[in-house]
Amino acid sequence: MDLSQAIRDKARELLETGAVKCVIGYETGTDGINARPAFIYEAAEVDRLIFDETCGHNLATYLLHHRAENIAVVVKPCDSRAINLLHGEHQIERDKVYIIGVVCPGVVGRQWGVKGRQLLPACQACTDRNPVVYDYLVGEPVAEGAPAPAPPLPEVEDLERMPPEERCQFWRREFERCIRCYACRQACPGCQCTECFVERLEPEWVGIRIDAPQNWMWHTIRAFHLAGRCIECQACRRACPVDIRLDLLNHKLAWEVAQLFNFRPGMTAEALFPLATFVRDEKLGVGEWASS
Amino acid sequence: MSYQPRIIGFLCNWCSYAGADMAGTSRMSYPPNIRIIRVPCTGRLDPLFVAKAFQEGADGVLVAGCHPGDCHYAEGNYHARRRYALLHLLLEFLGIEPERIRLEWVSASEGKRFTQLVTDFTEQVARLGPCQAVGGQS
Ligand code: SF4
Ligand code: SF4
Ligand code: SF4
Ligand code: FES
Repeated sequence: MDLSQAIRDKARELLETGAVKCVIGYETGTDGINARPAFIYEAAEVDRLIFDETCGHNLATYLLHHRAENIAVVVKPCDSRAINLLHGEHQIERDKVYIIGVVCPGVVGRQWGVKGRQLLPACQACTDRNPVVYDYLVGEPVAEGAPAPAPPLPEVEDLERMPPEERCQFWRREFERCIRCYACRQACPGCQCTECFVERLEPEWVGIRIDAPQNWMWHTIRAFHLAGRCIECQACRRACPVDIRLDLLNHKLAWEVAQLFNFRPGMTAEALFPLATFVRDEKLGVGEWASS
Repeated sequence: MSYQPRIIGFLCNWCSYAGADMAGTSRMSYPPNIRIIRVPCTGRLDPLFVAKAFQEGADGVLVAGCHPGDCHYAEGNYHARRRYALLHLLLEFLGIEPERIRLEWVSASEGKRFTQLVTDFTEQVARLGPCQAVGGQS
């Protein structure tokens, strides 16, 4: 069965029986090309729902705004990891959420004018085709091996090979475009703080001025706050109006976390966050100086 | 040495700050480039502090605390070790040379080790010159 139809049928059933108050899914946007999030409250509206390769948003983030109600949400495999993240961090109650998981064919970036078929680089490299958690599965599950972290992106490796000054030039060119709209933060399921460090005034970690040092501070700490938590859904990058390569920062940290701690966030809701635990005798390359 | 690096040292109250005190009361000398900030424990050290130091123009940041197993709060330094391993990699990826950041263990009786550490680190940072990574002073 067609994915869109399967989602509609399930949504109709859930709304008609009163199992959920709202179904969060995708519908075609006003340009007729790109999908946008849809909030369906009436069974009569379910035919608006679609699923295609433009359904890139991570809808799990919206659960943070609907904590009190029973909600159904359509998720791709990466988004399903966000549900585990939110559940594990006690941000949502699992029994209030009905998860419609989609076996994911990969998604494209935002399309301008005509629909393209070029999958996002992250989707081309992605090996997780099945959601890791769901109540109802749409599509035929794909046989896959043990879930493996994607290999480091070639662009990340290129950056690692540069001398530090060049790397720092690269990031300066990225960060100087930032208008600090915080759309990346709003789109991110991991950015759930009621008061973000960037808006603290006492102490003022980041000044309101948009300049190199303030932007640097924002990007450094945003990335660090997502270290070991980022499920690489690309929602932040697609939300960024000036196309800053947040994906490279996120990927670098996700890769290092996998190497150092053998950990991938969101694979289960129970897994202990690697920065919330430790191993007494581990060697991590810091604090190992022997004085003469 | 004409260029004088600016170094911020975050020292845990129970071990390394006492170690620095020991160096002082024993009249050992070490480079005056380090500005010491006392923190309750390395576990208290939010990576924000280190980033903020660089943003405000530090050329190097030293974090020192109790040896593993000796933390006054039992586990603070183990958590710090994980955090700093990752923060190191992030800052390096952003173009800050890894030699500009150190996390080390210094006990209250290791005044000599403290002076050696500060001397060693100051020379290391001085060789790199001013930190340009953040881009302009705020
Ligand atoms: S969405 Fe882009 S421009 Fe806006 S704060 Fe994030 S990185 Fe900066
Ligand atoms: S940082 Fe970006 S890629 Fe990572 S979870 Fe948040 S929105 Fe998704
Ligand atoms: S950037 Fe950090 S403080 Fe701000 S919302 Fe995200 S996780 Fe919270
Ligand atoms: S009290 Fe010294 S590191 Fe925790």
